Amino acid sequence: MKDLNIGSELHPAAQMYASEYADGKLSRREFLTRTTALGVSAVAAYGLIGLSAPAQAQEAKVGGSIRVAMEVKGTKDPRLADWPQIANIYRGWLEYLIQYNNDGTFEGRLLESWEANEDATQYTLKVRQGVTWNNGEPFTADDVVRNFARWTDGNVEGNAMASRFPGLVDEATKTLREGAVVKVDDSTVQLNLTASDIAVVANLSDYPAAVVHASFQDGQDPASNPIGTGPYIPQEVSVGQRAILVRAPNHTWWGGTAPLDEITYVDFGTDPAAMVALFSSDEVDANYESVGEFIDILDGMGLVKEELTTASTIVVRMNSSSDLYKDKAVRSAIQLAVDPNVVLELGYNNLGKTGENHHMFPIHPEYPELPAQTINPPGLMPALEAAGLKDAEFEVISLDDGWEAATTAAVQAQLKDAGMNIKHTVMPGSTFWNDWQKYPFSSTTWNHRPLAVQNMSLAYTSTGSWNETAMANPEFDALMAQALSIADADKRRELAAKMGTILQEEGYIINPFSRSLFSHHKEGYAGLAHHPAFEHHHYKWSTV
Amino acid sequence: MGLFVLRRLGVMLLTAIALTFVVFFLTNLQPNLEKLARTEGSVRMTEEAVQDWIAQNGHSGSVLLRYGQWLGVVPGWTYTDEKGQMRGRCFEIGEDPAAAPRYCGLLQGDWGFSTFFKTPVMDSLGDKLAATGWLMLAVMLVMVPSSLILGVLSGMREGSATDRTLSTFSIASTATPEYVSGVVLVALFATAATGISPILAEYGLIEPKKTLFLASATSAMDDITFWNFALPVMTIALYGIGYIARMTRASMTEVMTQQYIRTARLKGVPFRTVVMRHALRNALIAPFTVIMLQFPWLLNGVVIVESLFNYKGFGWTLVQAASNNDIPLLLACSVVAVVVVLLTQLISDIGYVFLNPRIRLA
Repeated sequence: MKDLNIGSELHPAAQMYASEYADGKLSRREFLTRTTALGVSAVAAYGLIGLSAPAQAQEAKVGGSIRVAMEVKGTKDPRLADWPQIANIYRGWLEYLIQYNNDGTFEGRLLESWEANEDATQYTLKVRQGVTWNNGEPFTADDVVRNFARWTDGNVEGNAMASRFPGLVDEATKTLREGAVVKVDDSTVQLNLTASDIAVVANLSDYPAAVVHASFQDGQDPASNPIGTGPYIPQEVSVGQRAILVRAPNHTWWGGTAPLDEITYVDFGTDPAAMVALFSSDEVDANYESVGEFIDILDGMGLVKEELTTASTIVVRMNSSSDLYKDKAVRSAIQLAVDPNVVLELGYNNLGKTGENHHMFPIHPEYPELPAQTINPPGLMPALEAAGLKDAEFEVISLDDGWEAATTAAVQAQLKDAGMNIKHTVMPGSTFWNDWQKYPFSSTTWNHRPLAVQNMSLAYTSTGSWNETAMANPEFDALMAQALSIADADKRRELAAKMGTILQEEGYIINPFSRSLFSHHKEGYAGLAHHPAFEHHHYKWSTV
Repeated sequence: MGLFVLRRLGVMLLTAIALTFVVFFLTNLQPNLEKLARTEGSVRMTEEAVQDWIAQNGHSGSVLLRYGQWLGVVPGWTYTDEKGQMRGRCFEIGEDPAAAPRYCGLLQGDWGFSTFFKTPVMDSLGDKLAATGWLMLAVMLVMVPSSLILGVLSGMREGSATDRTLSTFSIASTATPEYVSGVVLVALFATAATGISPILAEYGLIEPKKTLFLASATSAMDDITFWNFALPVMTIALYGIGYIARMTRASMTEVMTQQYIRTARLKGVPFRTVVMRHALRNALIAPFTVIMLQFPWLLNGVVIVESLFNYKGFGWTLVQAASNNDIPLLLACSVVAVVVVLLTQLISDIGYVFLNPRIRLA
């Protein structure tokens, strides 16, 4: 990695963060997340706080292959991708401008570096030189501009990127605004935002933001025409069965040589018990995720455990478009009848940290310390009686297996103990996700996002595209709009504290815990560290 | 005879058309289309986006016309988006729409494009049928001989200790559905922690493996071995063995009470010869029909077993197609099911004539 952002070119806030770190106000991980988001390279960021960047294993052994158990879903236009598993397949040949690493830093991949101005309304992106597509064409600033146009196209149904760059979009046409993304020269692209946006860097690293070639047609399956900049190409993608990535022929990857020759994903379904059998019968070398009691079992089989504490979480939320939950007092009483410690123990074997019902966790840079809520199960029935719901039948819906079901069952059991007439309904994933935003009361898993405001703006603003609670609080919306323009984390933390308080008081969500993530692999492999967003960085994998 | 076969084939065609229309109608109900839109487009699409997606991907308009497109008697749909790019039934994104045929349905030999597998339906279904074919073959090889032997053994001396024992076994096995016996077999033979595998492993009898059998048949897709294929085959076969054995026993006991058997016995023919030469052929007429009836039943039996053992054949495909509302794939599955059911019935009717000369096909 080139250090273009050292010395006088450092973003002014970076120095401030460094002193905050020195004062103990920031953890190392928070410091790295924030400074690298402002365009400071990871090496320079480590340097600012007097540490040296962790050295990558020198000269990983080239050769070998790996079999990973993961659901093989059909690859689709990356901006429509709705599962990390989809991205993990096309990540073999499609790369990203910026990559979020599992130590909390952002690393330029197809960008050499980037810089934000003082109020985060203008970003200057330096395009990496010497990168070629696997058809031999060079990767240029034009490719960057064209991909921004694809991402910002709000007319494409289900475009997960469209709502990520409000500052670049023309409201009227729902497409890229004239002059928003400018090619300055062959190696420089400038983003001119209408409003401050601190999440640009994080959004560019998210899994739907894969960079595609000019020949890619809208809505096409990327595996059918696998032109990309990455080291691999797909040899086979059989949905529900397997996907095989092999080295791209006649392609010089800009990053050197990716160690593994072949990566095979095998789909064995999602039953965690099957994973134990697969490891014991030597059918897989690594898995996508280990869950619940199976973590201990897999440990006992002599496998290497990869562990990561994240902001991945589950939200058991009410939806106020249902008559049962339109009353704030009812929602609050339900929320406070559930003890997160119990849910963490019963639902997730204590493999995480308890949450505070505001969808923010200590790993987030803007995490505010709020006064602890008082859990009050006896308060539930009086509140329900006051709302005339004493004898009403309630139902909480969840996926049909794994920790999602156990967590939801733990919530339901506590509500039942408090006197509520509530049942737990389970659904298979294929039907559950069809209506996930509409259920009156159900549980949803949320993946880790680097900044707390990212999840919160998606989920709890009245215009958020993944708003599943029907929450529409004007004060919250206003605070969020403001928060999204503040690069200074301390100031943003004040707003985050207010937003967190609003979320707690509105009572929509029971957010019992954040999860530690685990996966296992056999000995003899390196670089398979778990990633907070389940990303597989294939080029880091190697045999030992 | 020729006329009989022709008439049966005609019935098969009519049944296939009727069944596929029913399947087509059900998969094209609005909620199912919305589900398809969400899996194909994106889970996170809004309500309006879903409606747009349905309209823009050829799922709007009259059901009859869309069914006609599938049959190939109505021109395939096309849609041109705001950027001037065309999508349509008869060509893939990126291909030249002008060069594509106007009609592309069953009559043109086009079974459609599986939305779940992202391949032409025939490509994905072909492999899967072959996989299920191997499974069915193995099941038949195990099930038919063992069930006939069981049935004959218990039917030749009704009420004996052998009869009681074997009947108990048959009734128990046929009363245990696959989803129960499959799980029990896995627990007994295919886990490293319970059942008999840890005991065998301790004595070093199954080195270097840790279990006696494998609980997943995925690897059997490439390479069938006793180790990975025994459990799925046994799970299906166990159920059928009990059933066919019961039928054979009933048929055998009936034959054994016939006058000619008594005559043969009185003449002093050894019991063994009586059974083998005089009773067996007559006793096998009823089981023959039952065995032929097992083929259609196997088709749905494999749904459970293939899902349980992760064996990617016809049954597993049917489950995936149904849960993802993959319309062309489900239709093709229905056609396959109709053909298999009616064809085996046809064969059993014809075979019956050869076994029982008293019957003539009109």
